[in-house]
Amino acid sequence: MIDGVTPAEWEAVRLSLRVATTATLVSLPLGVVVAYALARWRFPGRELLNIAVHLPLIMPPVVTGYLLLLAFGTQGPIGGLLDRAFGVTFAFRWTGAALASGVMAFPFLVRAVRLSIEAVDPKLEQAAATLGAARPWVFLTVTLPLIVPGVIAGTVLAFAKGMGEFGATITFVSNIPGQTQTIPLAIDLALETPGGAARAARLAVFSIILAALALALSEWVSRRVAARVGGRDA
Amino acid sequence: MLEVTLKQELPGFTLDVSFEVPTGLTVLFGRSGAGKTSIINAVAGLSRPQAGRIVADGRVLLDTDAGTCLPPHRRRIGYIFQEGRLFPHMTVRRNLAYGARFAPRDAPREDMGRVVEMLAIGDLLDRRPGALSGGEKQRVAIGRALLAAPRLILADEPLAALDEERKGEILPYFERLRDEVQVPILYVSHAASEVGRLATSVVALADGKVLRQGSAAEVLGDPAVLPAGAREAGAILAARVVRHHADGLTELEAGGVPLFLPRIGRASGAPVRLRIAAHDVILSRDLPRGLSALNILPGTVAALRPGAGPGVMVAVDTPAGRVLARITERSARALDLAEGAALHAIVKTVSVAPGDVGGSGAAA
Amino acid sequence: MTPAALSGAAAIALSLAAPAAAEEITVFAASSLTNAMTEIEAGFEAATGHAVTVAFAGSSALARQIRQGAPADVFISANPDWMDAVAADGLLAPGTRVDLLSNALVLIAAEADAAPVEFGPDMDLSALLGNGRLAMALVEAVPAGTYGKAALTSLDQWEAVAPKVAQAKNVRAALALVALGEAPYGIVYATDARAEGAVSVVGHFPADSHPPITYPAAALARSESSLTGDFLAYLRGPAARALFEAEGFTALASADD
Repeated sequence: MIDGVTPAEWEAVRLSLRVATTATLVSLPLGVVVAYALARWRFPGRELLNIAVHLPLIMPPVVTGYLLLLAFGTQGPIGGLLDRAFGVTFAFRWTGAALASGVMAFPFLVRAVRLSIEAVDPKLEQAAATLGAARPWVFLTVTLPLIVPGVIAGTVLAFAKGMGEFGATITFVSNIPGQTQTIPLAIDLALETPGGAARAARLAVFSIILAALALALSEWVSRRVAARVGGRDA
Repeated sequence: MLEVTLKQELPGFTLDVSFEVPTGLTVLFGRSGAGKTSIINAVAGLSRPQAGRIVADGRVLLDTDAGTCLPPHRRRIGYIFQEGRLFPHMTVRRNLAYGARFAPRDAPREDMGRVVEMLAIGDLLDRRPGALSGGEKQRVAIGRALLAAPRLILADEPLAALDEERKGEILPYFERLRDEVQVPILYVSHAASEVGRLATSVVALADGKVLRQGSAAEVLGDPAVLPAGAREAGAILAARVVRHHADGLTELEAGGVPLFLPRIGRASGAPVRLRIAAHDVILSRDLPRGLSALNILPGTVAALRPGAGPGVMVAVDTPAGRVLARITERSARALDLAEGAALHAIVKTVSVAPGDVGGSGAAA
Repeated sequence: MTPAALSGAAAIALSLAAPAAAEEITVFAASSLTNAMTEIEAGFEAATGHAVTVAFAGSSALARQIRQGAPADVFISANPDWMDAVAADGLLAPGTRVDLLSNALVLIAAEADAAPVEFGPDMDLSALLGNGRLAMALVEAVPAGTYGKAALTSLDQWEAVAPKVAQAKNVRAALALVALGEAPYGIVYATDARAEGAVSVVGHFPADSHPPITYPAAALARSESSLTGDFLAYLRGPAARALFEAEGFTALASADD
């Protein structure tokens, strides 16, 4: 079966990995900050932020893709600004596919991280403050190490979602081999093309293998980290 | 020296206190819900009272009139929590060292080795909190607070989560803290026995107000401020170990008067402080003969205070110190007790619990 | 009463209580027929009192669903190939297939008054596009895309233009990309260009540059609806023809055929 893999299919695999990895890495810091804000702070508009974060989860992906097109396309307010100011474009490029994947995966990341932050006893953070640690130090030395398992889980979920994203991607950046034709888009195209069933099957197998590898890795890392963080002797 | 003035509306009562904490170990004493934890949380900066002023060593930590409120991490106050609150993802060693890196360079620091030795936690250094017993966790918590070079140590009922045996194990470490470390300690407790063992000064609270402030002996001798009333009242005597007898008794001497207690693990010549509960003291006008009790202290009546019920609290001045006895009114009349009357105070050897015998220092 | 008698009584009661039930028919139609079919659906319902449900998608997607058992009664495809695929599985009701409509392929631009494009030997679409993209439907799967690719190939433009193509899921999505201005040019049906005011037609592909665009319609063998014959006849009737031609289609079959 490996012999039958065409360069176009390898391209789709490489592109998927690139898109999902970029989307995950870029949303990670933002996701942690938003999760911390929702978990620990009280501010006006908090509920609105919560709703906004969860919208991609419940809106049809095509709608999300269309909104991204309106906002981040070259004619859109944000896309146009970024293009003129920094030369960054999303339309018809892998960056757009990464943006679509990142937006769709963001709620999963925030939920997982928020849950693990809420599980950190605030009394530990208080104790750290009494020992002289200012807020950022408390976060870095106490909160962050304790939420690492949750962050890992959220990251893997986000990565997997990014690898599997379809509706928003095709609506926003179309199907362009080498730029936006990720594995899901390639599979969809193969299914629509007469005689493309074998190609679709090969790509599906890739998809499953990559997802399984990601899950196995996250399980392994999670177990190691959880033991250290749970206070038992490593 | 710590000066505290606070006003805060709490559910059920208004907290309105003003007191000073000298060097040594001061117990904030009162029933549960009297406002003790609210007070030390305000001192630590973990909560902000509606009105108040807190000054530690001349440094203003809180002044609501001036709008000053230092955040907890700038106050340099070591806090020993009831549940320890050790960081589960760090070894004991890293827990201990946590505060040291935030302390100002010029702050007087305790030596890690000395603290570890004082608290006997050397074997635990590479363990994690999850594997420690309750008593071990509290000792590490004490060490962690101390090593952050605090100018004041707060302890919020640190023994409350431990069983009797563990309490007995940990109390000596608090005694060492009090005696060997120069930092003043503010210790919250509702247990008279802890006051008796540890306190060099006591602030007695009820319903958010200070009832009385003074030495341990003064406060423990005043049923009006004790949460359990007369039942908890007692006296504190300073004594010195003379020698240990073969039949399991230790002979001590207080003001020239011999006292016998069940064997205590202290060296000959060591100073101890004893708490003698008022309800364990019998009074007799004449020197009793053929009595099983070994401790007979001659003295004179200093004061008589009738209680709410049938009892009366008699304060007796003896060479060993002031002793309190709680007897019935009927007996007081029968013995014709009045101020200045000469009598004897009798204490059974075995009625002094090991927990009521503590190390060192002044009782009053 | 026994359970059998009870259910028998219930059945009789229900059938007497309900009026002659309105029949239903489900139509799968290529997305380029959206505007026309919506009006025809309303017309048929008004004329007959029966309910019509129309599902629009790329013909490739519709064919795939039908072959996997989707409960459609009538299928209108945007090219014969996908109808052939369904027929090859033996899914068409015999004798019901007709070539219903024809369409034309146009090049559209995002600006309202863009310059017309010459389709002669000097044509250089790639240069015209510059860094922009040419929006088309999936070129291997969706009819509008395959026709477009065939046309560009026969005009010797495909090799240069291929890397600049943005393939959308269906022809309407390609139209939307040009309408939004994201893609400067696109290839869609003449009927789609008419339906969207924000684009302008800058060229008509010669009819001989691509296989003839034929929209076959047929009833499906597994259909349980009794309306398929009536509906197919309605599609060929004067009311429907007028609506199709108003959109820009060429009606091929007439009710008299």
